[in-house]
Parts: sequence; C-alpha cells; structure tokens
Amino acid sequence: MIIDVHAHWGPWFFTMDVAGASLATMDRYGIGKAIVSATEAVIYDAQAGNRALAKVLEGQDRLYGYVTVNPRRLREAAEDLRDLTGPWVGVKIHTDYTGSPVTSPRMRAALELAAEAGRPALVHTWGPSVLDLAQVCLDIPGLRVIAGHMGADGYRYAIEAANGCDRLYLEPCWSHAPAGRIAEVVAAVDDRRLLFGTDATLIDPSSAFGAVAAAGLTGATAERVAWRNAAELFAI
Amino acid sequence: MPFDAWSLIGGLEVTLDVDVLVGAFPDRDGPPGTPESVGELLAGHRTRTGAVAGLRAALFDVRQGNDEVLALAADPRWLPVGTVDLRDPVGAGRELDRLAGAGVRAVRLFPDEQGVEASFPSVRHVARRATELGLVVLTGGDVRRFWQPFAGIGARVVFLDTHFYHLGDFLVAAMEEPGFHTSTRLLNSPDALETVAAEVGAERLLHGTRAPHYEPIVPLLRLATGGLDPAQVAAVAGGNARRLLS
Repeated sequence: MIIDVHAHWGPWFFTMDVAGASLATMDRYGIGKAIVSATEAVIYDAQAGNRALAKVLEGQDRLYGYVTVNPRRLREAAEDLRDLTGPWVGVKIHTDYTGSPVTSPRMRAALELAAEAGRPALVHTWGPSVLDLAQVCLDIPGLRVIAGHMGADGYRYAIEAANGCDRLYLEPCWSHAPAGRIAEVVAAVDDRRLLFGTDATLIDPSSAFGAVAAAGLTGATAERVAWRNAAELFAI
Repeated sequence: MPFDAWSLIGGLEVTLDVDVLVGAFPDRDGPPGTPESVGELLAGHRTRTGAVAGLRAALFDVRQGNDEVLALAADPRWLPVGTVDLRDPVGAGRELDRLAGAGVRAVRLFPDEQGVEASFPSVRHVARRATELGLVVLTGGDVRRFWQPFAGIGARVVFLDTHFYHLGDFLVAAMEEPGFHTSTRLLNSPDALETVAAEVGAERLLHGTRAPHYEPIVPLLRLATGGLDPAQVAAVAGGNARRLLS
C-alpha cells in the first residue's frame, strides 16, 4: 500500500486534460490513499477551490483533503480551517502562486494558523527555500511541515533542512529525475521523515514512483516511505 | 513490495534510446559515464542500443570527443551521434562536414551546456548546414525557443528537453513541421504521450532517457503504463528512432 501525500484534484491550465484522472491512476501504482488539494484553490481562489473539493471528498474513503491556504487571505483561511474537518487532514500552501515566499511575514502567519489547527502543512519548496522552511518551522512551536518537492533541484538543501528540524518531512515529487537524487536523500536523512508524493494529476505517478524505485528501498525504510510515516503524520 | 516498477514495466524492451551520454560533467560528482558503465545501465533497463553522444565533445574538444564516440560504432549497443560546439560556429560547420563524410546520421546540440541561446546566429548556421547535409539534429534547450531556427528549412529534429509544460508549443510547431519530433523524457504528465499521438501521431515520439544522468526507469515506466497501443509503444521504444536515424 502507498499513501500519496502530494496530489491534486481539478483541471490545469497546461495542454492537458486530466480532470477525470484519479482513482484509476492511483490503482495502477498501488496508491491506496491520496491527500489532495484543489487546483482551483492552489492556483486562483483558495476558498472556492476548497469548497468544490469538499463535494468530491464526500462519500468516498480514499481521498483526503488539504485545506489550501492563501497567505494573503488569512481571514478566509481561518474560516476554512474551522469549517473543513473530517477528511481534511492537512494544510497546503503554495509560495509562488500566492506570491508568498517562505520568509514572508504572511507565510509565517499562515503556518501559525496550521500549527494552531494541529494539521501538517505541505509547502512548495524549490532550491534553498527549503532551508528557510526549516527555520520557520523551528520558530513556530508544534508546527509540522512537509517540504513539497524536497527542494526539487535543491535536494541537498533539503537534507540539511531535515537534519536541522525534526518536525520537517520531505516529499520527493518532481518532473525531473536526476540520477541518484532519492538514494542520496534516503542515505542522509532519518527515514521516519521521508514521505511519498506524486504531484498527480499534474505529473503522472510514474515520475516519483520510478525515481523512488530506482533508489532500491527495502524493508522498513520502503514501508515507512510508502505509507507508514504518512499514516502516522496524518493519523489516517 | 511497494515501488516495484518492473512488475509494471512487464516485458517492454527498448530497441533504441535516443538520449544517451558518455563522459562526465566536471561540475557534478558523478556518474563517471564510461562506455562500459553506461552500457551496463542500458542493459539493466532492457535497452538494446543507445544513440550516444560524448560530453568531451560537448564541453571541451569536439574532434577528439567525437572520435571517441565514433569508435564505439562496432558495438551494437551504440549508435554514435556527433556533436558540435555552438560557441564556435565556423568550426562547427567544418565538423558537420567531417561527421557527414564519416557516415554519421545525427548530430547533437548542447545549447544549455554551452551557454548558447536559440537566437544566436550560430544555431541558425548549424541548423541549416546540418539539414543540407541530411543530418538529423538532436537538440537540447527550451522547445519554445529552439523550434525557431529549425522552422521552414525542412529540418529533421528531435527536441530532447520538451517538458510537458511546453507540450502545446511543441504541438503547434510540429503541426507545421513534419520533421519535428520529441523525446519522451520529460513528457511525464498523465496524458502527454497520448496527446502527442492524438495530435501529430505517435511517430513523432522517441524514447529518451539521458542515461546515465537521469533515472532511465522513469520514462520507461511512463511508456509502459500509458495509454498508447502496443504498436505505438514499440515504435516509441525504438522503431521511430531507428527509422529516423538509419
């Protein structure tokens, strides 16, 4: 069984038509559960996207929700975090679409909301920004953060970030698969803080699945990455 | 067992990978990129032949690097691809002539590694000369920019860095250019391969991995688990490349 902690629901603006792709794609890769955010919420209108996703989450037991938070709309975020419970097990914050760098005061305020809600926050990271995320996490008591993409090409910064903050988790999805990226991270970071994510439906799961497969994980580490760490972090 | 990619790949075999390198990047820790190690990597990913270019030629010494790659021709695991240095367009023209005279079928361009932009006269010069010589061009670079020097001249090109974010740009260019093809390496959205097949035909898709610098299992897994029919998969896995490069 695999838990995908970085997935989406809804259409994208690229030349692609994947709004209907979800459970069948998950089945192909043995992904039993996925925690999804609404693309509308990530890209344009957080509150409207969250409300649309709420209807999708009703009546099924494989998809869980991220409450997407726009750090520029903190009052709406507080409302959503109050109203959306049950399958809404985490918080999603995208830095680029909201123009909110990890170091910005508004991002810090958004992460404080996530900490108060007691939900892990998946934050988009790229390059050295993952180090900034580790510092913010250290500054906010009780916050648990997932470094989405584990810095992408900045995965060596992600190693440093994870080793400097024991409440920071790494999630590997990226459309590129440089040789040895996953293996290097697994060798350097406590395997209790490694998660699996795909970025579906933007990216086909074959990208992250193949990259992790190339690392040749076995035994308890494979199990932790595949699902155990996610199950414990999100209590699902 | 989680992450068992080979059970999903099944019996798929690659007859020709269009994007393989030998040599090492001096600004990276590895891999070493010896022909032996790269050959083993390809064999481990059920790949019969790699269209291979050399980083020595791309980064330092064109002629010596090309000769190293051409020397691999006797081994059926390799289909040698020449390289020119876009920083030296005059020398590049001469090297294209030499490569064509030696029977090379394709030349690979490294604009990003050489710091060359699509609008530079060098790229237009090499695009035209390679096309005149009947060479297929395998080029890196952002397809939204690098389509332009190859447009309208009857070029046969494989864009090696087409990302699915830019798929629409490739498609509208390819609709007007029958010689435009793309590597599959970064077409890893859920429907990119299928969209290319539907819009311009699966014959425009060539399996490429950039082994050993990228994980070759990723595009292999994407191809194996996608929505192309078996004939299309076989064509993408090498049939198309063999037709283009032979």
